Amino acid sequence: MVSQTRREFLRLGLAAAASAAAASGIEIPLFANQNSSLQTQLNSANTQISNLQTRVNNVVGFLSLSVSEQSLLEAIVETIIPSDSNGPGAKEAGAIYFIDRQLAGDYGQSANMFMDGPFVLPGQTGTFNVNGRDIYNLSNLAPVSLPYTGTPSPRVGAGTNYQYPLNLREFWRVGLIALQAYANSAYGGNFEKLTSANQLQLLLDLWANKPTSFSNIKSSDFAYELTFMTWAGFLMDPIYGGNQNMVGWTYTGYNGVNFGNFYGEGYDQRTLMVATSPTRLKPASLAQYQQKATGGA
Amino acid sequence: MPTVLPPEPMADVVCLGVGYMSGVIAAELSIAALNNQVNYKVVAITKGPYWDYVNDFSTTKYDEWGVGLGRKYDSPLPLQSATIRNTPQQFALPVRRYTMPIQYHALGHGVGGAAQHYGGTMGRQGPWGYKQKSLTDTKYGTAFLPSINPHNDLEDWPLAYSDYEPYYVDWERAHGLCGNYNGSTTNSSSDMNYPWMSQNYPLPPHPLTPVAQSFQTAAQSLGYHPFPHVSALASQPYTNQYGVPVNPCVYDGYCGGPCDYACETGAKANAAYRTIPAAMKSGNFTLVVNSFIFRLNVDTTTNLITSAMYYDAQGNIHTQPGKVFFNGLWGYNMIRTMWLSGVGVPYRWNSDPTMVSGSLGRGLTNGYLPYRGTSVSASLPNVGGNSYPAGNGSGGSVDIYDLMDDNFDHTGLNFIGGSEIGAGGYLGGGPGNITFAGGSSSANMGATFKATQKDKYLPSKLSLGSTPFAHDLPTTDNYVDIDPHYTDAYGDPVARLTYDWTPNTYNGATYLANKVAAIFTKMGATNVTVGSTVNPGAAHNDWWGHHLRGGCRIGINAASSVWNKWNQCWAPYFNIFGAGEITNTSGDNVPSGTHVAGAQSYVAADGIRKYLALTAPGQLT
Repeated sequence: MVSQTRREFLRLGLAAAASAAAASGIEIPLFANQNSSLQTQLNSANTQISNLQTRVNNVVGFLSLSVSEQSLLEAIVETIIPSDSNGPGAKEAGAIYFIDRQLAGDYGQSANMFMDGPFVLPGQTGTFNVNGRDIYNLSNLAPVSLPYTGTPSPRVGAGTNYQYPLNLREFWRVGLIALQAYANSAYGGNFEKLTSANQLQLLLDLWANKPTSFSNIKSSDFAYELTFMTWAGFLMDPIYGGNQNMVGWTYTGYNGVNFGNFYGEGYDQRTLMVATSPTRLKPASLAQYQQKATGGA
Repeated sequence: MPTVLPPEPMADVVCLGVGYMSGVIAAELSIAALNNQVNYKVVAITKGPYWDYVNDFSTTKYDEWGVGLGRKYDSPLPLQSATIRNTPQQFALPVRRYTMPIQYHALGHGVGGAAQHYGGTMGRQGPWGYKQKSLTDTKYGTAFLPSINPHNDLEDWPLAYSDYEPYYVDWERAHGLCGNYNGSTTNSSSDMNYPWMSQNYPLPPHPLTPVAQSFQTAAQSLGYHPFPHVSALASQPYTNQYGVPVNPCVYDGYCGGPCDYACETGAKANAAYRTIPAAMKSGNFTLVVNSFIFRLNVDTTTNLITSAMYYDAQGNIHTQPGKVFFNGLWGYNMIRTMWLSGVGVPYRWNSDPTMVSGSLGRGLTNGYLPYRGTSVSASLPNVGGNSYPAGNGSGGSVDIYDLMDDNFDHTGLNFIGGSEIGAGGYLGGGPGNITFAGGSSSANMGATFKATQKDKYLPSKLSLGSTPFAHDLPTTDNYVDIDPHYTDAYGDPVARLTYDWTPNTYNGATYLANKVAAIFTKMGATNVTVGSTVNPGAAHNDWWGHHLRGGCRIGINAASSVWNKWNQCWAPYFNIFGAGEITNTSGDNVPSGTHVAGAQSYVAADGIRKYLALTAPGQLT
């Protein structure tokens, strides 16, 4: 634990810390080393601040995932980023809480997506007709039948790849059901009960479009969401509910919003840019940054 | 039902959209001192807000998820999208979402436009680029271009580089560009590529990173001519010719690169913090925000545009009359708005290139070869530095132009032009966590992959990468029209992009990749690997973002271009000007053509002055 400087103590200025100090009759701010009793009080207050900071960077509980989805998805994210001897994984990061919050919000509602029809699935081949209008004669709004020979083949994850008439929450609901059905038909049991080797193999099957249980959905499209959102839950700012205690950032050596002096390290950004030797910075989160920027200056 | 409101007061100049180009028009035409004391009234209309970097960005921009995927400062797709396909026979799929890690490129929203969130990479187009068709024909024979670029549609620009040079200088001063050309032989490293610059960039370059220094030394020893990358991110405090003060870059890393962050100090040049503040101060300028332009009204007798119509945030319909109109909308929406209004001659594709007609939408090109180019990767064990965010989107690196334009002999090769080659910009152009940590393939799962991510952002893992983009050439098969199926939120058809890679890009990229590999090897890199060559039959464009450009050409020929040499629309639509969508630019040093288009906005400003001085509407000569 990095000790708090007096300046940070003042800036963070959380109510709990203040009340702890006030209850003991100590007037703050005080010089940290004025006497040992004050120092003890101050250390105690700082510990409380640190605990609060941890809580700022954590969430628990579900807004969107159903009970059966919770256990299934937990097993999936822990397959994608396992906790192992190298370090913490999706479990410690709380990736499932990140995904839950996303499914409950704009991501799940496809709020920033273009969701108008017609819905033509990518990869459709051969000649087909879709009603349109004569774009050279805009006054003619009567439908005309336009023949096409196929569609483009965008990459999985391309902006034109997702062409399903479902918002992403519904896509996940359908996808998780289809995944569990495939686990039972191909591996003989619920995903949660499979060996870790089989769990990973099953997800690879999804990427390879092996399952038929996904019906009109390409299982690779769902595998993309699972993989990508799990990594996002490991690496995005804790403010979104994942990357709890910044374990993902610590693991990858990423600094978050610590530009070199967040904890008083004394580096400036320009120096770090041209540095010739490595500097590992303890990461800081967006919430910490905002508290510091607006809390006590 | 929307309420149709009475017309707004008449303006001299109406700017459609308020990005880089409209910003120049707004400042140049509203400031009386720049127009022989004539007070031109300018109105500029944008669908988004006027971002204030202090309030809007200073505490909420360090948000990879919200900025990178949520695109919280950018053009919302439910409002308007576009459709893309590779061939004219295909059904075009609508762009439905912004995705990480593949396609995060968003169009802009509000004052400053897409330049609120770019990397600030710049570079002029040199003399060859403006005359690439005729120079290629002269040097390699007229049969060469059609042989390397099927259905070739390349044309020269109306004027030569020397005609455009003063406009470049104006634009660079307005936006505070950084670079190190000093106009003399004392800086021999840049002589080769800048003999045609009359004066220095207004600001010095950003400090070079250790990787850039290594690249510089290696490139020099191989006979190349490296110089610091030209950047639109201010390296020092600066005041431009309009008196607008500029804060310098703070190098925090949340800049360009994978996520395209807005800048919290205003160091990242765009109209909001360079030109529009000067226009606001002129007293002759009206900014209309949160208003969506949907039509130009055309007088059926004169073919002049009489007014622009837009929806305000409540859906009410406003009419803004004007004497002259400047189309500063994003590329394909520039085309769409004119098409829907009956301004210009819509391009009509034909499988026989001699049978195509029209010009509006013709010549869509790509300043990018994203992820399907030939790539070079390597490890650089002996150079330190920090690869987590520090630095900025376009400073700190060095480039060579030796492998661009016709700076090397193309005899016996199967492409023209080339690419800027550079290195040293950090991964720290932006956090890019999701981009680098995967999610786009089956390889990004499990303990083995996880192990590769440990300490990814520390120097022990520093890797080098380069994907030369090479030079895209216009063909008659790549174009913009409007979509017969999909509409925007107001019911108007969206733009449809028909585009696929041209062989010039991957042939050039293949050649260049090996040159890059040689430089990396010289740097002492290990595991230098040249990725597989693009197979044009197996890989097709699925890119739709802001590096697609063109379709609204500045040209010599009214039959194949939209704008004349003053960026004025060809007859009979005399009173609309555009910054010009950049169909023909050379090299990838101008990936989205911003620097080149920027100079054109000053050409257009001069053109508009000339037009407003005419006694009767007509074509400028």
